[in-house]
Amino acid sequence: MWFIVEDLINGILMGAIYGLTALGLTVIFGVLKVINFAHGSLLMVGMFVAYWAVTLSGLHPYLALILVIPFMFFFGYYLQDIVIKPIFKAEKDVREPITVIIVTTGLWYILDNLTLLIFGPQYRNIQDNPLRGKMLEIGGMFISVPKLWGFSAAILTALAIYWFLQRTRMGRAIRATSLDRDAASLMGIKQYKVYNIAFGIGTAAAGIAGVTLVPFYNVFPSVGVLFDIKGFIIVVLGGLGSISGAILGGMIIGVIESVGPQFMTATWTEGIVYALFLLVLFVKPSGLFGVRYDW
Amino acid sequence: MAIEEINAVGGIKSLGGAKITMLYADSEGKPEKGVAEAERLINTEKVHVLTGCWNSAVTYPTTAVAERYGIPFIVPVSVADKITEQGFKTVFRIAAKDSWWTRDQFVFLSDLQKEFNAKVSTLAFVYENGDWGKGFAGGWKKLAEKGGYKVLLDEPYPSTATDMSPLVQKIKRANPDVLLLVSNAADAILLTNTMAEYKVKPKAIIASGGGHADPSFLKAVGKNGQYLFDIVEWETDVNKPGVKEINQKFKSKYDYNLAGESVDAYIAMYVMADALERAKSLDPKAIRDALAKTKLTKGPAMIASYDAIEFDETGQNKYAALVMVQINDIGKGMERISVWPKGARRAGYKPLFPVPVR
Repeated sequence: MWFIVEDLINGILMGAIYGLTALGLTVIFGVLKVINFAHGSLLMVGMFVAYWAVTLSGLHPYLALILVIPFMFFFGYYLQDIVIKPIFKAEKDVREPITVIIVTTGLWYILDNLTLLIFGPQYRNIQDNPLRGKMLEIGGMFISVPKLWGFSAAILTALAIYWFLQRTRMGRAIRATSLDRDAASLMGIKQYKVYNIAFGIGTAAAGIAGVTLVPFYNVFPSVGVLFDIKGFIIVVLGGLGSISGAILGGMIIGVIESVGPQFMTATWTEGIVYALFLLVLFVKPSGLFGVRYDW
Repeated sequence: MAIEEINAVGGIKSLGGAKITMLYADSEGKPEKGVAEAERLINTEKVHVLTGCWNSAVTYPTTAVAERYGIPFIVPVSVADKITEQGFKTVFRIAAKDSWWTRDQFVFLSDLQKEFNAKVSTLAFVYENGDWGKGFAGGWKKLAEKGGYKVLLDEPYPSTATDMSPLVQKIKRANPDVLLLVSNAADAILLTNTMAEYKVKPKAIIASGGGHADPSFLKAVGKNGQYLFDIVEWETDVNKPGVKEINQKFKSKYDYNLAGESVDAYIAMYVMADALERAKSLDPKAIRDALAKTKLTKGPAMIASYDAIEFDETGQNKYAALVMVQINDIGKGMERISVWPKGARRAGYKPLFPVPVR
């Protein structure tokens, strides 16, 4: 019996981290109404920034957040401002700007291949960091310390973004734009500035996710793809645009992935995850925790 | 490089010191291109011997062309079993075939038990769920049955897995004596590190090249990879005469170390020269017959890990064997040390089995 508890804990911890990787995706979708295919690449960039910040400075991995968050925020801010905004403007009469999706796909390829060009295909990880390989042993139960940190980071990030959107003036502007961008513009909200900030927040969230992964995961140029697919499933599962949905959706996937293999092969568990994904799309397309109507 | 060496010492003496000329054709890794180029080489360029095709998928149809024209075809590296199982008369393969990898892993396992007088009775198979992993697992299952081992876990997993702890928990709970692995690079690293975290310590872990032989593996796992056994075609430290010198020469020429594939290609050229020498003729039939009677036990070709080259009736090199290495630190950081076959073991090294528990 105990091993189920152990697996459940691992699943919840890992799941929250998956949720964190998908958080930026859901924020960007909620506001821009655009599926950001480059999200995995942004996560990868975040991991590389965290990797180099920790390797060069010798900081505790989580202290690297001081560098990673602002860097990633402005990276996202200017990415949206310089690369994506012009496309938005060209398509401003269209309700769902499809071209922007194609642009984000292009960004994905450019970022991945640029990293490959600069850093090569090697797998890197930080050998000497205080979190690596650390385990809590409670009566024969193993709980990974870096995952525990990642779990806390995920919850805190989700709460912080939620608080920002609900309680600050800028947050209200973001929510207004996401409800109806034309009406918001009429009220004097600068639509594109809101987009820039939302993209910046989403990218910064990807950066935080990168920091949580670096202590126990490999860093390599195509790492984003692995989390990208998972991110889309999580976001659909939890409801596109829903912040709590992303974290809970992540936990559901994490638990299935962690408990499932004890009863079947790991290959089948992946099948179950995708089956659940399809089921949600058929039965409740707005996601388990999403709102019914399109806001 | 082998051709240059052969020509430099006088070419093929029985043919009046004839020099060997190499013609290159690029298959671009495409089967249809390989076939077309082989036709061209035979009909237009009138070559006497064909060799090559890195990809098994290209080699397979191309050997059929050679067979049709009766031109000998030496296959240095393509490993698919079916290449030498077509009943062809003109195909000769240097490398060990695919199914021999698993065979050698089990031979190694039983040699290990004899050498250390330790008993292994339970196994666990963990492998990536593609063609490659499943092919290995199929071989393991048969061999385990034959060897009387009990298989506690037979677990395919997706290489794209982002969390290995569920899998590692399963291995831990199964608690096998020996764990056999087939992994790609990212998952090999993650699996090794996660196993160390959960303190999973079987008596031995035997990997199958691929991810475990990836250049970044050693660096990315550090101490966690210590004592792991891995099977490969060849390793630069095999204890055979001439290896150091030839590798040195190769490195200064091409700027990287010899690998299994380059060694097989190098050997192939010496096998060919030896056959030409004995054939005393350029008639394809005579060359083929000479190749079939190959019995090479000395010369530069013996940088191979095994001790002789002879072809069986299917054209497969009978003695081809793989090399088992153990990852360990003997004062120069973690490195891959050849341990098996015993004739190729690095001088002065004794493998650790069952691996010590840290």
